[in-house]
Amino acid sequence: MEGHQRNLYLYDRFNTRVAGVSVDDVTTLKYWAKSMDVTFPLLSNVTGFLGYFFGVPPSPEIKGYPVFDRRTVIIDKAGIIRYVKDGTPDYKDILLFLKKLNQEGGKP
Amino acid sequence: MRTKTFVILCCLSFITFWIAGCATTDRSEKSRVKWTPQGTVIWDNEFEFLPPPKEWSILTVEAGGEFGFGFMRVDKGAFPSQSTFVYDEEPFGYALNFEKRQEEYFKRYLWTTAMTLDMKVLEKKKVTVVGGEGLAIVAEGKDPVKKEKVKSKVVFGKRGERVVSWYLTQWRPLDGTYDDSAFQVFDTFWGSYKYLKKSFYETL
Repeated sequence: MEGHQRNLYLYDRFNTRVAGVSVDDVTTLKYWAKSMDVTFPLLSNVTGFLGYFFGVPPSPEIKGYPVFDRRTVIIDKAGIIRYVKDGTPDYKDILLFLKKLNQEGGKP
Repeated sequence: MRTKTFVILCCLSFITFWIAGCATTDRSEKSRVKWTPQGTVIWDNEFEFLPPPKEWSILTVEAGGEFGFGFMRVDKGAFPSQSTFVYDEEPFGYALNFEKRQEEYFKRYLWTTAMTLDMKVLEKKKVTVVGGEGLAIVAEGKDPVKKEKVKSKVVFGKRGERVVSWYLTQWRPLDGTYDDSAFQVFDTFWGSYKYLKKSFYETL
């Protein structure tokens, strides 16, 4: 999340908006965002719906609770998923992809 | 109760090893280093600087770490007497101006090392770094629980439009004495720094 916040000005240039998804509740996310100076939207996904929706594998570490591994998804302006990568976000890879998408005119 | 304590200790050990595994020290990372006739070092064909004396070991991050590379030295005295300085392309915080960035930075600085440190800024002044404007801050933190203290110098500069930093940390026992020679070596390091090519962000 810190890397995304640092790159917000570049996402703007590529006509991109970023949102974070977490299984934490709204109150926890509000405090977390404040403590980290994170300004982009964070979605509280306590039921795990978004994790299942994007096909993210549930984390094997905590069974019976909707916790998911990390996944980065880029959706273009037509609503088509154009990029999916699991694990820690590769910010440079993301920026290169957004640049390409923006140049194609398929603005995210 | 004994079982709980054991479990907590196991977890702490795991975390410590995990963090320690992020960085390696190796003075012989020759593939990344080229010496110039002027006595400077070229690192990864990207940066040029005056290196520290040979008692300093090279410190690198294997992957996904918190800084690019640096140098460390084990100092005389009881644990945790050591000095480390690094170049960091992605310092904590987000702002593109130094004043705001340093506020964000010190919220998280040394966070993974000692959450109980109470860092206080001792000195703040404008400097010139890599031919541009910069901001140098000297700060000290004390941890009464671990009975440790740290003196640090952080220099913020620019690479393109992004803020980068060079920082030194010198750890001591709470009753230990700081060694200014490490700060002089650090000043030579960042003071001689040059970028030899554009950063990834400048080519976007």
